[in-house]
Amino acid sequence: EGEPQMAAYLTHQQKVLRLYKKSLRHLESWCIYRDKYRYFACLLRERFDKNKDVKDMVKATELLKAGEEEFWANQHPQPYIFPDSPGGTSYERYECYKIPEWCLDYWHPSEKAMYPDYFAKREQWKKLQRESWDKEIKQLEEETPADGPRTEALPPARKEGHLPPLWWQYVTRPREIPM
Amino acid sequence: METALLLNTSMLLTLAIILTPTLLALLSKTPPNSPTTITRTVKTAFLISLVPMTLFMYSGTESITSHWEWKLTTGFKIPLSLKMDQYSMMFFPIALFVTWSILQFATWYMASEPYTTKFFSYLLTFLIAMLILTIANNMFLLFIGWEGVGMMSFLLIGWWQGRAEANTAALQAVLYNRIGDIGLILSMAWLASTTNTWELQQPLTPTQTPMLPLLGLILAAMGKSAQFGLHPWLPAAMEGPTPVSALLHSSTMVVAGIFLLIRTHPMLATNPTALTLCLCLGALSTLFAATCALTQNDIKKIIAFSTSSQLGLMMVTIGLNLPQLAFLHISTHAFFKAMLFLCSGTIIHSLNGEQDIRKMGGLQNLLPTTTSCLTIGNLALMGTPFLAGFYSKDLIIENLNTSYLNTWALLLTLLATSFTATYSLRMTLLVQTGFPRTPPNPPMNENNPTITAPLTRLALGSILAGLLITSYIIPTKTPPMTMPLSTKTAAITATMLGIALALELSTMTHTLTHPKQNTYLNFSSTLGYFNPLTHRPSTTNLLNSGQKIALHLIDLSWYKKMGPEGLAHLQLMATKASTVLHTGLIKTYLGSFALSILLILSTQT
Repeated sequence: EGEPQMAAYLTHQQKVLRLYKKSLRHLESWCIYRDKYRYFACLLRERFDKNKDVKDMVKATELLKAGEEEFWANQHPQPYIFPDSPGGTSYERYECYKIPEWCLDYWHPSEKAMYPDYFAKREQWKKLQRESWDKEIKQLEEETPADGPRTEALPPARKEGHLPPLWWQYVTRPREIPM
Repeated sequence: METALLLNTSMLLTLAIILTPTLLALLSKTPPNSPTTITRTVKTAFLISLVPMTLFMYSGTESITSHWEWKLTTGFKIPLSLKMDQYSMMFFPIALFVTWSILQFATWYMASEPYTTKFFSYLLTFLIAMLILTIANNMFLLFIGWEGVGMMSFLLIGWWQGRAEANTAALQAVLYNRIGDIGLILSMAWLASTTNTWELQQPLTPTQTPMLPLLGLILAAMGKSAQFGLHPWLPAAMEGPTPVSALLHSSTMVVAGIFLLIRTHPMLATNPTALTLCLCLGALSTLFAATCALTQNDIKKIIAFSTSSQLGLMMVTIGLNLPQLAFLHISTHAFFKAMLFLCSGTIIHSLNGEQDIRKMGGLQNLLPTTTSCLTIGNLALMGTPFLAGFYSKDLIIENLNTSYLNTWALLLTLLATSFTATYSLRMTLLVQTGFPRTPPNPPMNENNPTITAPLTRLALGSILAGLLITSYIIPTKTPPMTMPLSTKTAAITATMLGIALALELSTMTHTLTHPKQNTYLNFSSTLGYFNPLTHRPSTTNLLNSGQKIALHLIDLSWYKKMGPEGLAHLQLMATKASTVLHTGLIKTYLGSFALSILLILSTQT
């Protein structure tokens, strides 16, 4: 309740911090050696810190705009992207192996017979899911405000004996790296 | 007499051994193959293929066998004929050796992947297609191999099909190869219609071969061997796993285009225009790729551009009418390029998927064998005297220098040679030396013999291959024997200049000046702006013109304007002009009667 909620627009602080982080990342792409990077990173930090107490929003926005333009002019043509980030070399690499759990229902009985205890327990879990679904939906409907949800975070279970809403999607999510 | 029989039998046995896993998989119910069995199969095939190679080296026996015939049309024979000559007999052991090492490496590299057996069977199918291409004696069989390697390249580049970039890269490879295939089919059609055979044996006319089939063949080589113009698929193909890059896109598939030109060189030799075209195209490709490699930061992309540059150099050799030297370069290049890729694979896996050289460093102490092999590979690539690359690269540059063909091509090639040294040294310095810049990760080791054995084997090959091949194979053309000292040392001087440039640039990166964008850096980083300039506009033009033809030309113009609507429009114009006269006044009508009677009377008399 007291935590910051995501809204449709960015605050000035968020914009400045985003500019700072991406300029640091591009600086890291330019200055390969760590000592050189640290030198220029300190200079950059000092430039940002010099203007951190500006109270006039018009001036602050102009500074931000000038900063963004300077970033655009000085950005690196091949910025360093972490391998698992979007655009990286391992991003979504194993996506083709992440099959949803309902495919297990389509297995042939001879295949299911290879894992009898798993499938027996699975039937119990599915029964539990069917029973708690209505309660989860009711909880979500009660707790969502009238003009739509404010955030993507799901609420915990409120009553005794209830399960948190949409727990099935979390529990049956695929592994990050397949076996 | 028996040597020919032994030769044929051993070559066919090699092919049969390679085919065994695929046949077993088709025939038996339980899957019989595993990565280790496939590796062992290729190793056996390699050892058997040493027999024909040794036979050829010591007796010079060549043979052409013909087994069966496709009877597709009457009057046009397409036999299943296999040509066992110098090129195929040398290529088999080299390709099998490199493939064996790569497969052994891949048992470690792909160990944590699902469906490794499928991966290995794809690689094996690729190898079968490549060997068919090499041993083919007619264009039909070569085309089967050609298409086979293209298809397997598609399947292997898009191995991780969940990635959007991998799918795009696989499609790019297929489309660019298809454009080359147009050229190949064109020349096949010309050959079929003019010479009435697809065999590569026929004595060709001493007069000049016409330009059309040669252009087709050069287009095919452009597409398959990533020459400038049809090159973007090769760096994009690095989306596939490292063993795929090592096998397909460095040693075997990309040389298929050059191999085609080697096989058809009697046709090329008579047409100097085609040779000049090859020369200039090759020189342009080698320089362009070397320029792009200078500013790349992904280790696999650097090696990919290096491959592209060496392919340009092979094309230059074809342009100099030296097919044997081009084949020598193919053979030596296979060893050190595959080794470079395998080293980069070890580094990538040890760093948990990190491919950017800006986040590598100090690996000399952490991965000693790998980095030593990386150094050996880079030295061989640069043409260090008496390593493998020297025997082919130095000879090519000497021949280029002493031929009086094209100074521009010579300058471009020398510049590309120095750039080769520059980017190789840059890669070595950033990856191996200095302090580690890697993110923190668990301690790495290379104690696994599955890694070190292939690397050391290929390193041995990189050092000895040039010497061995040149000692045992007699050149068909005399190499230039005498030349001024400056010409003789041109290649090594260019390499030294490149090394000096690399060292200068690396000291510049340590100085505390803020780096900025500049035009040359941008040109090199964006790969010459080639991709955005060609990919979007060509397809939009094609689709726009298609839309114009389909909708505007056919529907609008022919069906509407030339027909009913046009006629209606004309009639409307005429009626609009004439309704002005329909005023309803009698005097106007009488006047018009009088006018028309006067006209008739005046024309009658």
